[in-house]
Amino acid sequence: MLSIKDLKVDIEDKAILQGISLDIKPGEVHAIMGPNGSGKSTLANVLSGREEYEVTGGDVSFLGEDLLELEVDERAQAGIFMAFQYPVEIPGVTTATFLKSAVNAVREARGLEELKPVEMLRLIRQKADMLGIDHKFLQRSLNEGFSGGEKKRNEMLQMALLEPKLAILDETDSGLDIDALKIVSDAVNQLRQADRSFIVVTHYQRLLNYIVPDYVHVLYNGRIVKSGDKNLALELEEKGYDWIKEEVAAGIPSL
Amino acid sequence: MSTALLEQQSETVMHFQQLFQEREQKLNGQANAPLPRLQRLAMDRLAETPFPTRRNEDWKYTATTRILAPAYTAGTEAELAAEQVKAANIVCLDAYVLVFVNGVFSAKHSQVYGMPPELTLWPVKDALKDDRFRPIIEAQLFHEENQVHNAFEHLNMAFAEHGHFIHVPKNVVVDKPIHFLYISETEDQAIFTHPQIIISLERSAELTIIEHFTGTVKGDAPYFTNVANRFHVAENANLKHYRIQDESVKAFHVNNTRVRQDRVSTYSGYLVDLGSRIVRNNLGAVLLDESTNTNFYGMYFGRGEQHIDNQTFIDHAFPHCESNELYKGIVNDKASAVFNGKVLVRQDAQKTNAYQQNSSLVLSPKAVVDSKPQLEIFADDVKCSHGATIGQLDENSVFYLRSRGLSDEQARALLQHAFLKEVLDFMPEEKVINASEELITKKFQGEF
Ligand SMILES: Nc1ncnc2c1ncn2[C@@H]1O[C@H](COP(=O)(O)OP(=O)(O)OP(=O)(O)O)[C@@H](O)[C@H]1O
Ligand SMILES: [Mg+2]
Repeated sequence: MLSIKDLKVDIEDKAILQGISLDIKPGEVHAIMGPNGSGKSTLANVLSGREEYEVTGGDVSFLGEDLLELEVDERAQAGIFMAFQYPVEIPGVTTATFLKSAVNAVREARGLEELKPVEMLRLIRQKADMLGIDHKFLQRSLNEGFSGGEKKRNEMLQMALLEPKLAILDETDSGLDIDALKIVSDAVNQLRQADRSFIVVTHYQRLLNYIVPDYVHVLYNGRIVKSGDKNLALELEEKGYDWIKEEVAAGIPSL
Repeated sequence: MSTALLEQQSETVMHFQQLFQEREQKLNGQANAPLPRLQRLAMDRLAETPFPTRRNEDWKYTATTRILAPAYTAGTEAELAAEQVKAANIVCLDAYVLVFVNGVFSAKHSQVYGMPPELTLWPVKDALKDDRFRPIIEAQLFHEENQVHNAFEHLNMAFAEHGHFIHVPKNVVVDKPIHFLYISETEDQAIFTHPQIIISLERSAELTIIEHFTGTVKGDAPYFTNVANRFHVAENANLKHYRIQDESVKAFHVNNTRVRQDRVSTYSGYLVDLGSRIVRNNLGAVLLDESTNTNFYGMYFGRGEQHIDNQTFIDHAFPHCESNELYKGIVNDKASAVFNGKVLVRQDAQKTNAYQQNSSLVLSPKAVVDSKPQLEIFADDVKCSHGATIGQLDENSVFYLRSRGLSDEQARALLQHAFLKEVLDFMPEEKVINASEELITKKFQGEF
């Protein structure tokens, strides 16, 4: 599904990602962990199509297409969904209007007919209920004045509606209380299916109790320095990152 | 004034005088009826009052020479298909409708049945013949409280043939909006029209009016809509005034609207400017007593080579009055917009609440905005604020929307729409909001 080969990325002439390789097959969940500033969001943003990053080397192919050649909206239409760490607030655009425009834009690109207003409303309400989102949020301006947790849930609502092939969750769990965390995880688990993959960026093993990953990778200084299964997350929870940093300093090869 | 300008102006005025005389000659003894007498007076005043030029501080950004250059003749009623009128109407709005085609009242297209009997809605020409109304109208026309009338207002009075007078007696709440629909159409002869509404609301009366200006320029000859309105809102009365201007982008539009408010009265203006090659709006409210409420909510959207100039004036002379003013606009391509908002708080106007804000989006390097909110305060116990922001679309928001599959164009249109929507949301009449939104959408799609 997604194949990243030796990806190198600079921001303002500073090398942030220094050769990342990652292969994600359909249906897999990959967790990415790592200390602050290691490049997790950078990786997620580059995949989603942000332009302020300069790709200086490597390839990314998504469902056989050169992902880096696609515009951000084309990526979304092709099935990439990024749940942002800090979703923007857009005054004046109601959440409902936004969701309708997004669903129809994606449907059109995928060769499907626009949904009739009644069907659209039903669909949006159904997904909102699944995520425990009060319908009154739909009439509010997009993310404006939403709490951190409400914004994250709203991201999950968009994900549920847009039915991506690959969803990238950047710290969706940060700032969620335990109930919200369960709701979000349930939503992700419901969406897990054979042809849909997830990249879950997180600092907390707690999330991975609910969304059980197939692989866990540790990103450090712009490189994946260690990969393993879900037990790696438990180990990190217990021991922190120092032992990994030491291994890297000592030149012990990863994996 | 430079000699070249002087020459052009005197030529223009001579042209107007000639038109005026031609019309007078056709009056056959009617020249002494009240309206023609007022028109003659206005023509004399026009001869003494030069049109403002760019040297005049308040007209710095708007060249009246361009507006006045074409050799206009008075508009005559043209045949309009019923569908054409229907298309210009506001969908589903239950209103009394007065339609004017090329400035000429068209009974055929209008719908005024069932008006409350207490309400007077008459042509100014007739109302002036009635002893009850003549003094009211004359008071409205000749008061010059704190502001000298400009040449465009004299021009309007000199040529307005189809102006209307509305009188709402005390305690009468008019059940439906009165919708004035002005449709102009030119081919190879430039025309000017002079819409005029004079309103007198008595104590505790309520009225909603909608002015809608639209039109088509089929050939090379533009048209010029020269509006002058006078509204008087008596004690505790409430006037809601919508103005939707989506003239042809080859047309010119000048609108002078003067409002006078008595104690505890409310005036709310909802002002939408989408059309015209050059549009200049002067909107002024003079507050004649305590505890008034004045609201100006304006939005504008200019593309191509459009020029949109809004001048507003609110004169606080008494205590406890409140004014809210919000103008938001977008300019793209080579369009330009001007906002010059004056709020004067005189020494006696203690406890005034005056709020003024102008925000603009400038979406292309060749588009320009000149914003000048001016607050002059001579009282010490007041709450006043004003501000102006000029910005671009927030690129983070564009990115966010695109990351959900919207195209760049869709994302930008949605954000622009949202920016303007804030102003539309102040309109109490949802059908007017919908109609305005539809016009905005058409404009995004490049339909005009
Ligand atoms: N727009 C930017 N301009 C300059 N530097 C940036 C920018 N974005 C990220 N960086 C830098 O790139 C590095 C990696 O940042 P990134 O946000 O990818 O880290 P992260 O792993 O997501 O961290 P966190 O766990 O704190 O979210 C950091 O040193 C950060 O300061
Ligand atoms: Mg991050």
